[in-house]
Amino acid sequence: MHRAVRHFALLATVFVATSGYAADGKTTGPHGEAPTPAGTFALTAAEEQQVKDGKFTAALVWHEMSEYTNAVNSGAHDEFKRLGVEVVAQTDAGFDAARQKSDVETVLAKKPSIILSLPVDPATAAVVYDPARTAGVKLAFVDNSPAGYEHGKDYVTIVSDDLFQMGNKAAVAMADALGGKGKLGYIYHDADFYVTNQRDGAFKSTIEQDYPDMKIVAEAGMADPARSEEIAQGMITQNPDLDGIYVTWAEPALSVLSTLRGAGNSHTKIVTLDLNEPAALDMVKGGNIAALVADEAYNIGVTAARAAAGSLVGKTAEPFLVVDSLAVTKATVADGWKKSLNKDVPATIADAMK
Amino acid sequence: MNANVSAANEPVLKLKDIRKTFGGVTAIENFSLDVHPGEIVALVGDNGAGKSTLIKIISGVYTPTSGTITIENQTVAMSNATMARGHGIEVVYQDLALADQQTVYMNMFLGREPVNRFGLLDRRRMIAETETLVKELDVRIPSAHATIRDLSGGQRQGVAIARATHWASKLILLDEPTAALGVAETAKVEEIVESLKRRNIGVLIISHSLDQVFKLSDRICVLRRGKQIGIRETAKTDKNEIIAMITGLQQH
Amino acid sequence: MSSAHSSASGQPASLVNRLNLQQYVVYLGFLVIFLFFAIVLKDSGFLTVRNLSNIMLQTAPVTIMAIGLVFVMSAGEIDLSIGSTVAVSALAAAVTVNDYGLGAGIIAGIGAGLLIGLLNGVLVAYVKLPSFLVTLATLGLFAGVSRSMTNLRSIPVTDSTFTGFFGSGSFLGVPSLIWWTVVAVACGHVIYRETRFGAHVLATGDNSRAASVSGISVPRIRLAVLLISGGLAGLAGLLYAGRLQAAKYTLGETDLMTVIAAVIVGGTLLNGGKGTIIGALVGSLMMGMLNNGLILMGLSVSDQMIVRGLIILAAVAVSLREKSR
Repeated sequence: MHRAVRHFALLATVFVATSGYAADGKTTGPHGEAPTPAGTFALTAAEEQQVKDGKFTAALVWHEMSEYTNAVNSGAHDEFKRLGVEVVAQTDAGFDAARQKSDVETVLAKKPSIILSLPVDPATAAVVYDPARTAGVKLAFVDNSPAGYEHGKDYVTIVSDDLFQMGNKAAVAMADALGGKGKLGYIYHDADFYVTNQRDGAFKSTIEQDYPDMKIVAEAGMADPARSEEIAQGMITQNPDLDGIYVTWAEPALSVLSTLRGAGNSHTKIVTLDLNEPAALDMVKGGNIAALVADEAYNIGVTAARAAAGSLVGKTAEPFLVVDSLAVTKATVADGWKKSLNKDVPATIADAMK
Repeated sequence: MNANVSAANEPVLKLKDIRKTFGGVTAIENFSLDVHPGEIVALVGDNGAGKSTLIKIISGVYTPTSGTITIENQTVAMSNATMARGHGIEVVYQDLALADQQTVYMNMFLGREPVNRFGLLDRRRMIAETETLVKELDVRIPSAHATIRDLSGGQRQGVAIARATHWASKLILLDEPTAALGVAETAKVEEIVESLKRRNIGVLIISHSLDQVFKLSDRICVLRRGKQIGIRETAKTDKNEIIAMITGLQQH
Repeated sequence: MSSAHSSASGQPASLVNRLNLQQYVVYLGFLVIFLFFAIVLKDSGFLTVRNLSNIMLQTAPVTIMAIGLVFVMSAGEIDLSIGSTVAVSALAAAVTVNDYGLGAGIIAGIGAGLLIGLLNGVLVAYVKLPSFLVTLATLGLFAGVSRSMTNLRSIPVTDSTFTGFFGSGSFLGVPSLIWWTVVAVACGHVIYRETRFGAHVLATGDNSRAASVSGISVPRIRLAVLLISGGLAGLAGLLYAGRLQAAKYTLGETDLMTVIAAVIVGGTLLNGGKGTIIGALVGSLMMGMLNNGLILMGLSVSDQMIVRGLIILAAVAVSLREKSR
């Protein structure tokens, strides 16, 4: 069933490879959950009315504030507003679990019906959320849930990226940029971190299974982003004829970009993950960057808010809802920005496109 | 040179053949001086004559290279200021050494605070003793609770002298006690210094002001370039002689 | 202060007024903020016993660290390393308590804090390096140590005696974190105000030469205050570990600025010679109340930060202006 769903989701996207996709694999949740596309969770008009009549309240307890959290946050705000749920408090723990615990305790004073949160430290987060759980607050999480918590009983759902899809789309975007054939470099995150591991793996397996004319000829693991420039240097020196390089996320991709520029190389294309202003600028100006794959962060907030609100009127959600991602290219940069972060594309990029 | 007649009792401080060198440089040589209880001795000399070195030797900061220090017939060897205090010698420093943001009474007992049987500060006793003493010495401060930085220069000097008086059983060293004060405040401090004579302790005062020296002291000891030029009874000398000794126009 | 100099012989009345005002700034500020939240948030649960006791519980570790910093700052020094001491202590305690039990965990946690304090103290008091630079360096050093201790992993604390004693437990109906706060503030206050040691700390910070010629061992005082600060930061680490039932390298990292602000707003001078433990407690509660109230007002995170920053700025401006010389 999941495969069928995934198939549908992929068909619905813009960059479907001509051969469909044979790459086998899917994102799994932090506790091994099977993914469900976020779009499948919807509330009926009656349910929405019921939510509106309930005069519910929500608190947003974030782990930190970044552009990503901002997008999730505004998605949640908008969806709650649409459903007549009042957001009564929002907090930022600055990556400090102790502060997140204080934040949960504090927002409880406003007796919220819902808490949306991203746990700073999932392994030990049960203590953080226990006061809310025992008070009967509906908990919906982004990315991960506290160890020991049971779906349906202790929390509503986890909403996250479709990690496999992101890697997969990066591969498809690379194939599009290179016309389906060429020699590739592959710079992956060399650490035990399930988000990057799944994305990197998905890129690699998609290339290997779906694109017989594209070959990964150089691989390099990157453990420390600060050393990405040296890694890129080594790879380009040994393989000056690479047609494309996949980089695990945007920050190190900028190092690869500067290495290529330094070598006067304008033909090697880069595909990486996450929206990043300097990278997007290079792409818009027709530089080495061919595509940036971004998640629909805004949609994570929308989905989490919707699922939590639904739970108040008895609607259950699947344990692991994943939002789509999109490959942003020169042609789609403005739309992509809007869709991923729900923001207008930065002025520098808009100017460069003119 | 030892023909002093001003006091009948034994000297509280007896310096004999004190010599101090730093590396190869001689700062003080062959210095001898007695200070008797109830006597004020002035130490005068130009800048760099060795007055400060001498004060530091007496207060235990420097150990003399040779020579003996005798306090009430007991030859002592001191290696720090705490030991000098143990022997009943107190110093009033040029820069006062007061803790500005603390109260008068805490400064009076700085480093020697009395405690009660629970080991806690005995404030009542500190305040009472401070008030008695400032009254006796006529140091006019608003109260023992006043903070030092809220006092005038003269009041601060009064507190510093009162502190020395409280703890000194033998000798007080005053290092330029009025250098930073105005006329009225100087007069007040001089009054306090004079009143110390009644307490039967020795006073050794360093001062640039010959007027002050002649007003306060019983004897005057002149230093020049580390050498002791001479000691005069104040009543039997005059400014011209002392100036001549200081400037080197007259060797004794 | 120039006015006080020129008018030293007269006007004791105005002097007294000003001294009183400066002493009460923190209490006044606390009261104003409290009343403001009490009125604005009267329907938002601010005044509930639960919420007010939450503020007390949440500020316990900051208060404990603030007590140590009052000693350090009164002696004219600073201790920035508390930011990472907390994590090192919490991790040391967590690892030890799981394997060797409660006593060993406490010794490891406090011991780690004391060792860091000892290192700071020796470098400041005997090697005679400025405490700002020493503790800035050890802040970074021990942030690294806490990361490498468990390879960034968080360590759960399973010993229920430990978590009860330092975190979630209570005694005579009063939560243990409040007991710790009360005991630490009381002991700190008595030692600071009523012992020779406290007087010597103040004298050292006020005028180290005066302290020195008065027979006070200035290096020993400097070593002692940094040891106290390290030990109390260690205790704060135990409280965090107990409260979260886990330890992680991020614990305490964001607290340093809050602690410094609490101490300064509380009326302790940045360059020594004057301070108050009770003021630091009130300052710490004020910071906690501010966090709590601004969240309950429903402000966005960035607005909370801006408003909090402005209020701290105002509080510091008032308290420092009153005390400047």
